[in-house]
Amino acid sequence: MKKDLADVPGRLAPTSTLEVDHVTKRYGSGDTEVAAVREVSLSVAAGEIVLIMGPSGSGKTTLLSMLGALLKPSAGEIRLNGEVISAMRENHLPDIRLRKFGFIFQDFNLLSALSALENVAIVAELAGIKRSAARKAAAILLTNLGLGDRLNFLPEKLSGGEKQRVAIARALINDPALILADEPTANLDSKIGHEIMRLLRQIAKKQGRSVVIVSHDQRIKDIADRVLWLEDGQFKDMVTMATDPVCGMTVELDNEIKIEWEGQLFYFCAKGCRDEFFSHPEQFSSRSVQPVKG
Amino acid sequence: MTRLAFRNLFQNKIRMVISVGGVALALMLILSLDAIFTGVEQRITVYIDNSGADIFVSQSDVRNMHMASSSLPDSVTRIVKAVPGVAKVTPISYISNYVVMGDERNLAYIIGLPDMAEFGGPWKISSGGSLPEEGEAIIDRAIAEKSGVHLGDEVKILGEEFEVAGLAEETSSLVNSVAFISMDDFAELRGNYDTFSFLLVKVKEGVSPQDTAKRIEAWVRDVTAQTTEAFSNQERKVVKDMSTDVITIMNLIGFLIGLAVMALTVYTATLARRPEYGVLKALGARNGHLYRAVLAQALISVAIGFAVGLAITLLLSAIIPRLGLSMVLQVSSASLLKVGGLSLVIAGISAVLPIRQISGLDPAVVFRSK
Repeated sequence: MKKDLADVPGRLAPTSTLEVDHVTKRYGSGDTEVAAVREVSLSVAAGEIVLIMGPSGSGKTTLLSMLGALLKPSAGEIRLNGEVISAMRENHLPDIRLRKFGFIFQDFNLLSALSALENVAIVAELAGIKRSAARKAAAILLTNLGLGDRLNFLPEKLSGGEKQRVAIARALINDPALILADEPTANLDSKIGHEIMRLLRQIAKKQGRSVVIVSHDQRIKDIADRVLWLEDGQFKDMVTMATDPVCGMTVELDNEIKIEWEGQLFYFCAKGCRDEFFSHPEQFSSRSVQPVKG
Repeated sequence: MTRLAFRNLFQNKIRMVISVGGVALALMLILSLDAIFTGVEQRITVYIDNSGADIFVSQSDVRNMHMASSSLPDSVTRIVKAVPGVAKVTPISYISNYVVMGDERNLAYIIGLPDMAEFGGPWKISSGGSLPEEGEAIIDRAIAEKSGVHLGDEVKILGEEFEVAGLAEETSSLVNSVAFISMDDFAELRGNYDTFSFLLVKVKEGVSPQDTAKRIEAWVRDVTAQTTEAFSNQERKVVKDMSTDVITIMNLIGFLIGLAVMALTVYTATLARRPEYGVLKALGARNGHLYRAVLAQALISVAIGFAVGLAITLLLSAIIPRLGLSMVLQVSSASLLKVGGLSLVIAGISAVLPIRQISGLDPAVVFRSK
């Protein structure tokens, strides 16, 4: 039965909590078994922004997929508002994804044949909202996000920042409790990236939604309530981390690839960065090597 | 989802043209062939339908003209005339042979008409006389034009020269035409003066042709009497039986071409949208939603293809007669139903493979595409 969508923008999501309890995800079996995520536990309160960082291959994508009910854990439990979503049958998951989660992707992932308005409205229609109501709600959301004059534009006619705002509107249209964002600022310039970060903060703080962000972007730490470091499928303490002065990656302080230069210790993600540092030390030595705050 | 299918289809104009154009051509092939054969069927009985007779009397068990021979003695004319309900009779002689015009040989029903025949002769004359005298022939206007023959020119029928005394309209089809000569000439050429082929009967006003035909069969020995409609149907059936295999094979070819084009375009269109279908799945779309989109895309393509194919066929059926060709394209409702049904089958089958592709799509692919 189709229903009308109530006033969408500014709605306050119900108090929600995401709980991840000793979740493990294994691929393969026997000798070829690989644990992408190992015994990870996490709790995200309503209105909280959690940033998950980590090197490539650390299990961030696998964890995000499990949080979004796109992938089932091999062990452990994921609960949203007390409801165990990790144990749900496969045919219940589309509804959960549609109504409980909002997804924001690095590549925006808008449907190229649909206008900005239709890209947002289609998700409401999938949830059973009448077409006219879905379009109305989508128009209000997009207008509130500053895209009132871009409603009928195809994605190819939108800038990166505009596309991501459409993606944010699409993530919000069904009033989800949890927003999952995968590298939301990766394809955006600094100014637009900040704007998207501001929007994500508003979504969490003004609308009471939980926001989990996976990103390499250090700037997002500014809006995060908590920053978690995932490496080898496990969360690690970020106080023990430092920044590679060459590539900017976060690395562990007990990393073997380190050197002392003019009385200061420098940590590197790989030998390549260390060699590059040696070739022009004056170019890199001024860069901060302060441990990353957790 | 229908809107998404529509937009997906129309966003890539080249793919849409290939998809719709391919289906349109395939369906047009089926429709046109059907229309040609329907036209042939209709024109093949053009003489019977326009003879003006209500009943055709023939030798016992001869039920049509095409590839058949009937011989009735002169006495039959007198006896049939005496049957209650019969108003008028016209005996005709008939043979299927060639009208030779210069180097061209045109297959024709050669009809021998008695002097002063009230019916059974040409029904529409474009120029010249409507009843052939001795040594004269009335031939089809289109065939004559094609061969460069005019009134007064000579043509050869059954080995004898005849002067073209009249040109008749609507007496040709894709396979043959009708030529009229006098019954005396016909008898002389065939060497048989005491027999004729068919007796055309007109019934009195208010009398049932069916009842009269039965009465003729009861009164006259060794004859078969059929209403003109029944005789015409028999004639069509013979042609249909002869052409069914050809039509079936051509329809099958058209169907397979349409299916191949449609299946390929729906498949490639789905393949190109695979990441977007993955996104929709991740956002919460069920497989059913996506199947609907794919099926709708196939249905819309086929529906447009069907409309375009039909439009081209109708256009051809309007243009071809104006070109002076002895071919008539007749789009029948049965043909429309058949091709419409085939279109649905094409749409359904062509969507199967993409649907299978989507059903196995992992929604988590959205996070792995980078």
